[in-house]
Amino acid sequence: MAEMKTLIKIKPKTYAVGEIVKIDFMAMHPMESGMRKDKDTGAIIPAHYINEVNFLFNDKLLTKMITWESLSVNPVLTISLKVSGAGTLKVLAKDNKGQSVESTVAITPKG
Amino acid sequence: MERRSFLKGFGTAAACAALLPRMASAADEAKKVVGPNEMSIETAIAAITGGKPLTPSSKVSLSAPEIAENGAVVPVKVTVESPMTEKSYVKAIHVFATKNNNVRCANVYLTPANGEASFGTRIKLGGTQDVLAIAEMSDGTFLSGKQNVKVTIGGCG
Amino acid sequence: MRNFSICAALLSISLCGLLNADEQLSMSDSDKAMYAEMVENNPAAMDIADGEETFNRLIGEEAYAKMLGVKAKDLPKYIAGFPRFVKPAGKVVTLAQTLQMAMADRGQNVPKLESKEIVTMSAYVKSLANDQKTNIDVKANKQMKEMMALGQAVFEERRGGRGLSCNSCHSPDIVGSRLRMQPLPDLGAKETAAAGTWPAYRMTQSAMVTLDKRMQQCMKNALLAEIPLGSKEMVALEVYVTNKTKGNAIQIPGLKR
Repeated sequence: MAEMKTLIKIKPKTYAVGEIVKIDFMAMHPMESGMRKDKDTGAIIPAHYINEVNFLFNDKLLTKMITWESLSVNPVLTISLKVSGAGTLKVLAKDNKGQSVESTVAITPKG
Repeated sequence: MERRSFLKGFGTAAACAALLPRMASAADEAKKVVGPNEMSIETAIAAITGGKPLTPSSKVSLSAPEIAENGAVVPVKVTVESPMTEKSYVKAIHVFATKNNNVRCANVYLTPANGEASFGTRIKLGGTQDVLAIAEMSDGTFLSGKQNVKVTIGGCG
Repeated sequence: MRNFSICAALLSISLCGLLNADEQLSMSDSDKAMYAEMVENNPAAMDIADGEETFNRLIGEEAYAKMLGVKAKDLPKYIAGFPRFVKPAGKVVTLAQTLQMAMADRGQNVPKLESKEIVTMSAYVKSLANDQKTNIDVKANKQMKEMMALGQAVFEERRGGRGLSCNSCHSPDIVGSRLRMQPLPDLGAKETAAAGTWPAYRMTQSAMVTLDKRMQQCMKNALLAEIPLGSKEMVALEVYVTNKTKGNAIQIPGLKR
């Protein structure tokens, strides 16, 4: 299985210490519900979904998410972060088949 | 001119009518299948609140479209009014699609470092239903907000 | 005649088993705004990033511009004019076809138009023209004039068992009528900016789809034989449809139902 592709966006693009920014985390994932049938064979496609996403800022847990198959395919998850200074935002995502991916983005407040 | 116009409209009807049987049978088949994480809304709420009261509150704002053209991708945003300090913050936001096979969508455990209690995502809705958000507050209370989303059938393709 | 069209549209809705197609069944402006906001975090951004990596690895901006005979700095404006007549091709081609040409030029195996490489690269390359206005010139030369005429003919040709044409659902006089709850879009409108927003992420398919592929999907559902990707007729159709949205800004990737 190919590596899970991810993307993190910080909005707005420029921000200062003390400001609240939005973090968008996106992942390419089929998010199979385990309820769909294969069109050709009629067999149920096994559930395959991201079940945990952890957001860490400078290695400290910011937000932990338990996620389920009801999230859309290629899910997008948005949370807020109050910028306390420069650092690294790390997102660890894993799915119910044990596949995991780590993505990072630099938090660089202006001024 | 009128004839052309009529044919045009009729053609459109014919085109989408042709699609209908396939859609209907797919929906029927889906009904028979039970997902691996099936859970009702009552069970899911009890698992979060542990039987404590759930209070509908204007502090919990849930926005979702009233009409969704497509049940596969329905945007949902939840914000909860809170100072987000160590003393008083929102510990978690839980999002449920109340009529899906597994009603749970996401359990989001926040910290004061978030600065504001907000969560946004896109969910699948199996049909028209309420989307419910529960805010778990640091004082041990549970607040809720909900919105009904009507899922309609889209155009061709 | 306008009334008659609406009648026919209502008939089409009731035939689909859906009654009372009043305004309650339409998305409100705030609903639309929620969807519009979703463009900001479009999953297809990951496809574009993929396409950028592939493009830089396999072709590169400089080699690409050189092949087309334009300066690298003029690329965005040039890209905003596709499909166009390209000298080394000797015919009117789509952006995706120029990527195939560039790969052939470099002695590489040429992937199919529907391949992941060409799809993601064409989306990335078109995104270089973001915010540019679509500047297709259907009168630029005799080849473009020919393709525009052919495109219109293909758009209006009734085909298949039900005798439908593209125009059956997309003629300007039935814009806004509903097809299974979905208002039919004006392909030339600024807000839809149809051609300028493809490749787009299709929410119903959870994947990025190109304009020609979208047109094939439309044909399939209308029970028409699918016009092959890259064929003269398909390129002509893209010319005709793109010209409807001339002057509107390019925004790649789009986000569609």
